[in-house]
Amino acid sequence: MNSLLKKLSVRSPWLFRINAGSCNGCDVELATTACIPRYDVERLGCRYCGSPRHADVVLITGPLTARVKDRVLKVWEEIPNPKVTVAVGICPISGGVFREGYSIEGPLDKYIPIDVNVPGCPPRPQSILEGVVLARKIWLQRLGVEE
Amino acid sequence: MAGFLKVLFHNVLDGPSTDPFPLGETFTPQRFRGKVVVDPDICMGCGICRHVCAAGAISISPRPDQSGYDFTVWHNSCCLCAQCRHYCPVGAITLTNDWHNAHPQEEKYNWVERKFVPYVPCADCGTPMRPLPLSIARRIYLNNPDINVERIITLCPKCRQVEDARTHSSCAWPAAAKPGKTAGEGAPAKADATAGDAAPKE
Repeated sequence: MNSLLKKLSVRSPWLFRINAGSCNGCDVELATTACIPRYDVERLGCRYCGSPRHADVVLITGPLTARVKDRVLKVWEEIPNPKVTVAVGICPISGGVFREGYSIEGPLDKYIPIDVNVPGCPPRPQSILEGVVLARKIWLQRLGVEE
Repeated sequence: MAGFLKVLFHNVLDGPSTDPFPLGETFTPQRFRGKVVVDPDICMGCGICRHVCAAGAISISPRPDQSGYDFTVWHNSCCLCAQCRHYCPVGAITLTNDWHNAHPQEEKYNWVERKFVPYVPCADCGTPMRPLPLSIARRIYLNNPDINVERIITLCPKCRQVEDARTHSSCAWPAAAKPGKTAGEGAPAKADATAGDAAPKE
């Protein structure tokens, strides 16, 4: 039973989305990736979940503003290991156009170990899909599961 | 009912609307703004791209041995606004439609477009400099047909002043003096000043 569960659950890494002070551009692209049939991330077994405790892959957008920093870290801590963190857009990766702003605490990898970067302003849905595929690969490696 | 049949008919005819991307090929618009590329053969290092870059993704750093400069664009900071392409006077920097950008964290700081742009020695004094492309020089001197454009693009700014004083100044170049570096510095500026020219004095 346990092995069967293990076999089945790795088919579907659930996604969780954290907005770390994003302008909403990347969030719209994330919604597009999951919610419209054209890009349909659910083919890969992924779907968005409402609780961080159910998540396997976390997608973070936004440059990590001073106001949300503690909350982002708190929510990120709640995601069970092994988790794969994907930085979506240039803001969490380098700060992007907001870099060195007075209210920007980023880049994100000062506080959180990032696994996959998907730069773009915003990245197109196919690019995000590419990132999710890469994240899934890393996630399976961490679980020690061969496909 | 009729509307539903119409939708069904279209679905049967056109097939699924899902883009097959992670499992198959996808479409890319021709004018999609993707990764930045720079052509080191025509870049003249004016730095306008670095100046207009909204995200500060461009770095132009001259090498200490004066052999040229490194032109670097960090894709992880580039916001794909294409201001650099818009403002580049020679069209050296452009955006491709390559959007394959997802990469693991280990490659974060290697995710760059880096090109070495070499300096060329000035034809007269040998100072390392980056020459103007011929097309740009022709455009600049369009209303000055008496200027030999092919010649002056091989000269550094200082030698260009000397060249200008020698050929165009209303004040005659002293025939006895050898047109060398030492003679070239004071004389042309003085000549320009007396002629009421707008050339900057040194």
